[in-house]
Amino acid sequence: MSGHTIQLATISAVLAGTIMSGTLLAETHKEYRFNVGLRAGVSVNNPYGSVSVKPSTGNIVVISAILSSDKVEVDNALVGNRVEIQSHLLPGADAQSGRVDYEILAPADASITLHSSNGSLRAEKLHGDVSLEGAAATVDVRDISNAHVHIKTLNGPVTLSNVQDGHIEIDSLSGNVTLRSVNGPLVQVVSTSGGISYVGDFGDHGDYRFTSHSGDIDAVVPGSTSADVSARSVRGEVHDDIPLQPKQHTSFVLKEGVALWGTMGRAAISSTVVLRSFSGKIHLRKRASE
Amino acid sequence: MTCVELQESLVENESGSSAEQRAHLKNCSECAKLVAELLVIACSAGDLRAAHEPHPRVWKSIEDSLKREGLIRPQRRSLSLLPSLGSQWSWARWMVPAAALLLVSLGIYLRQHSQTTDTGAQNVVNAPAVVSDAAVAGLNDDDLLQEVGLQSPALQEQYADNLRHVNQYIQDAKNIVAADPNDEEARRTLMEAYEQKAMLFELALDRSLQ
Repeated sequence: MSGHTIQLATISAVLAGTIMSGTLLAETHKEYRFNVGLRAGVSVNNPYGSVSVKPSTGNIVVISAILSSDKVEVDNALVGNRVEIQSHLLPGADAQSGRVDYEILAPADASITLHSSNGSLRAEKLHGDVSLEGAAATVDVRDISNAHVHIKTLNGPVTLSNVQDGHIEIDSLSGNVTLRSVNGPLVQVVSTSGGISYVGDFGDHGDYRFTSHSGDIDAVVPGSTSADVSARSVRGEVHDDIPLQPKQHTSFVLKEGVALWGTMGRAAISSTVVLRSFSGKIHLRKRASE
Repeated sequence: MTCVELQESLVENESGSSAEQRAHLKNCSECAKLVAELLVIACSAGDLRAAHEPHPRVWKSIEDSLKREGLIRPQRRSLSLLPSLGSQWSWARWMVPAAALLLVSLGIYLRQHSQTTDTGAQNVVNAPAVVSDAAVAGLNDDDLLQEVGLQSPALQEQYADNLRHVNQYIQDAKNIVAADPNDEEARRTLMEAYEQKAMLFELALDRSLQ
């Protein structure tokens, strides 16, 4: 290595170090604590960055925020029994300098409302209502029970895992929606062009409705599942690997390969499942391990 | 004037005040109810706008006072999704939900009413095609895309793509309902398609775009 090269490398390293240290110095960590009552509310509006909510011990809300720069502030307030957090962009802030990442601990029975444009939104181990909204935000909800879960995204992917007895409504324009071990009285997914994937047993006495205009719908269920299943794709295909008892009366014409309607398992304890697409493929499959 | 003709005429005159419209409304309780509901929605939207948008002089006066007191800093970036939609698009804050409601209400009404009138299946097919969604609700794809492009050019393509898909979704759903007006699932799907479009506007105008 020539002397000139070594000099260049040294200067580059110094410059990189300076930039890195500047970045690190600009990043700040803040923490806020609020004492709340039963069934409190927590609302976070964060244009850039992630928000993660986990259960706290006791009736306390702890907000940990990492601010990327001094171009953004955290406005916080306790209004009644509701904690309101807002990432406040100052002039000149952009997606990088305006980023705030939140880690939130909240009582498990709290109602959570999160908004982010492009960060990830995550809620876990809660049993209060959860409402998440974001354009390109990645949404991850897991280990939730007895709660309303409402999600709206433009193109961010949505994943729900282990959500029991939920009242679930997901609307996504083009993001893919994945549900694993999700059940409840209402499980509804509507998408324009995103795919919908369900792996679970459709619970019992629930209303499951998955609609995508052009996305594929894939449902994988154990052989023991009981459900009344109706599936129709206007211009796509419908496949099922599970024998269904055909219905005597149907409200639409059953054409092989594009529609099916029947009962799997024991009808007496079954849920109602409606799978509908215009140009996507619908596939109802039995879990491979059985 | 038939029920379908009246619905079409509402695009031009939503108050139902023309002589022809009044003559029809006298004898048709269903259409009279529709016009009344449309007026309520339109008036509510206006009231909301007025209630939440004080005169600019009020804001100016408050701003001047706060500046004199040294209580305000340089103007912060708005928290809204498309902040500079401000003057030109401020009405949209209330018009979008109102328009979405109007779209869904009219969609439901057209479907239900077309079945109950004696105009036959042909009218069911024609009515929705004639009444333009944009004309009825004041929603204009081009305006939205233009504003998104001004604020976040990188997102314009995404929004254009999603708009194209959701418009196709609505059109396909309309066709299915037209082919079988008794298909309840199809009618529900049409509503969902409208809701998807309303959500797209909501996301653009509300919080998620910066």
